[in-house]
Amino acid sequence: MRDGYAFAQLTALPMAATLILHLALIGFAILRWPPDTRARTIEARVSPPTAIKATLIDAGALPPPSTAPPRAAPPQPGPEPATPAAVSASALAEPLVESTARSDPEPRTARPVRRPTAARPPPQQRRSAQEWAAISRAELSAALDKEDSMAVAATGEAMSASYAALIRETVENYWSAPPSARNGMETLLAIQLAPTGELVAVSVLRSSGSAAFDRSALNAVEKAAAFPELRNLPRREFERTFRHFRLLFRPETLRY
Amino acid sequence: MLTLRNRCCALLILLAASRVQAQLVIEITDPGTNPTPIAVVPFAWSGPEAPPDDLARVVHEDFERSGQFAPVPRRDMLGFPTREEDIFYRDWRAVQSEYLLIGRVNFAPGPEAGAQAGPESDTSLSPLETIAGAAPGLQAGRADSQAGAEDKRLAVHYELYDVLRQARIAQGDLAMPVGEARMLAHRVSDAVYEKLTGIPGAFATRLIYVSVTRNPTGKDSFRLTLADADGARPIVLLKSRDPIMSPTWSPDGAQVAYVSFETGRPAIFRQVLATGEREQLTRFQGLNSSPAWSPDGNTIAMVLSKDGSPDIYLMDLASRRLTRVTRHYAIDTEPSWMPDGQSFLFTSDRGGRPQIYRYDLRSGLTERVTFDGVYNARARVAQDGRNVVLVHQRAGQFQIAVHDLVTRRLQVLTDTDLDESPSIAPNGSMVLYATKYGGRGILSAVSVDGGVRFRLPARRGEVREPAWSPYMPY
Repeated sequence: MRDGYAFAQLTALPMAATLILHLALIGFAILRWPPDTRARTIEARVSPPTAIKATLIDAGALPPPSTAPPRAAPPQPGPEPATPAAVSASALAEPLVESTARSDPEPRTARPVRRPTAARPPPQQRRSAQEWAAISRAELSAALDKEDSMAVAATGEAMSASYAALIRETVENYWSAPPSARNGMETLLAIQLAPTGELVAVSVLRSSGSAAFDRSALNAVEKAAAFPELRNLPRREFERTFRHFRLLFRPETLRY
Repeated sequence: MLTLRNRCCALLILLAASRVQAQLVIEITDPGTNPTPIAVVPFAWSGPEAPPDDLARVVHEDFERSGQFAPVPRRDMLGFPTREEDIFYRDWRAVQSEYLLIGRVNFAPGPEAGAQAGPESDTSLSPLETIAGAAPGLQAGRADSQAGAEDKRLAVHYELYDVLRQARIAQGDLAMPVGEARMLAHRVSDAVYEKLTGIPGAFATRLIYVSVTRNPTGKDSFRLTLADADGARPIVLLKSRDPIMSPTWSPDGAQVAYVSFETGRPAIFRQVLATGEREQLTRFQGLNSSPAWSPDGNTIAMVLSKDGSPDIYLMDLASRRLTRVTRHYAIDTEPSWMPDGQSFLFTSDRGGRPQIYRYDLRSGLTERVTFDGVYNARARVAQDGRNVVLVHQRAGQFQIAVHDLVTRRLQVLTDTDLDESPSIAPNGSMVLYATKYGGRGILSAVSVDGGVRFRLPARRGEVREPAWSPYMPY
């Protein structure tokens, strides 16, 4: 009994130390995890006539993207891309002339390195950095809108947003909803791309309940694939955002 | 310790999960109006004689006319497979087709229908000519009175493939009498259309319309004509020197009712399509017009002016009893039943200008439906009970518009002038109407979303007052 007590006394300190260290580590992990694990909303507007909105949907706080020192986000442990040949659909890949022409050419010319940014409009950047943490999601998207309209510094996120817009627009161009479609119907697709922008896999995550509607969404993706423009995206950005992503088909412009 | 580790694990899993949750979701909200490419390969024919009809051509044209599909031209096809093992999906991707329809046609030993009463001509009405029993297809499923080759049935087996996913998504077998080859093809179109769009097709349906030709003597000649929904195979049901107006279908598609002036004043008749048998329903002083069959088929709503101003009456077909339902010194006319049969829409100028009103048979209440513009008339309700097509006057022009009973919004569909008599397809996708083209009355069609318009071929004369049939029983 007494031995046991002595042993407990002996080990108490290292035990406590271990506990505290672990807790600190976990706490650090929770608090300072790279911002991409949180929700972000990116509104991207590509030049007229069509306004394009790309949204990263999740609930949660909005950490200031530029306050944190540039940490290397642990690359998504995504599975090695299946060989593009596995998806014969990509054989249908089209040049996507229209979309490329319409997409913002800036991100492509931009340097893929993300700098702590002494980028062009420093006061602008600072203001946003300070406010971002506080302002609501809606304000954020409005602010981003403004940013975009005044040529924003080509950060990885901005690039992702404009590529998301490109994908959105391309898929929309190929999508033709069946006449049985109604506003508010939802089909959620899981998309897997290769770094070349080719479609690796597409599947229905959540069906709308209408086979015709689901098929129209799948066909839109298969016809739109691939997105060779994604080659211009830094690899890390690709892995983080476009290796796996989702497409939500939810018509809003139908008569009813 | 253990629990702590468990918690750590749970936390890590949670973190991992939140990483998954944070995946990019791109919302696609604006569907285009691109027609879907579909390849309709000529069907294989196995029979001793020459093939009766090019069924695949009929299907091809059906899809083309729908506006929602873009059939691949035959000359672009790299092969004509008729069985699954002959399909090279690569070929169909090369022509950018999303779907592939193949089929095989042959004679099927069908159940021989017992011959029914043949055509009988009603000769008592000397200036009139009824062509009875000459409406093939109307007897389909019942009996076909024609003899010989007509006893044979044509059977089609079709298979629909998804080119992108390389899989068969539908197949089926249909059979009809040989004389109904076109209808058989329309039924294939209906089945494929429903599979691909989620709403039933309305290709295997029919139209009735009135055509007017001027004789060299200067007298007009009126014909009540029955045709397939694509305008093909017109058959004259009734020929008269006096006006024929307001043709309408019974809900089972077996009879039509119309107004004929053959007795010297307007009277409402009904006619059985299969036999040509006619019956005069009304012979009142003044107006007898605008018959409209109730959805249960037991009642015909009509407009009579025997008690003063034109009002709407219901006639019970079994007892012939008349019930007056609207009483107003203004003109009430053009009744059109709601699909539930509990109320009907009608046109009335009780507010000073013609507008659409709705009369509820249960409550006996009348409410005004349209408020856009100064003229809305001749309403027809779609089967969904929501879309109402009507004639709307805008900037002095009469155009076809669709009024949504839920949103109460009105959308003009046509850009021509003098459009009249809209009639909506049983699946609610297309509106048929009469208009003027090159100074001549013709039939035109427009999709309910306004996206597709086409004119129906008219052989001669003026064409008026089309009425699209309900789904036909087969």
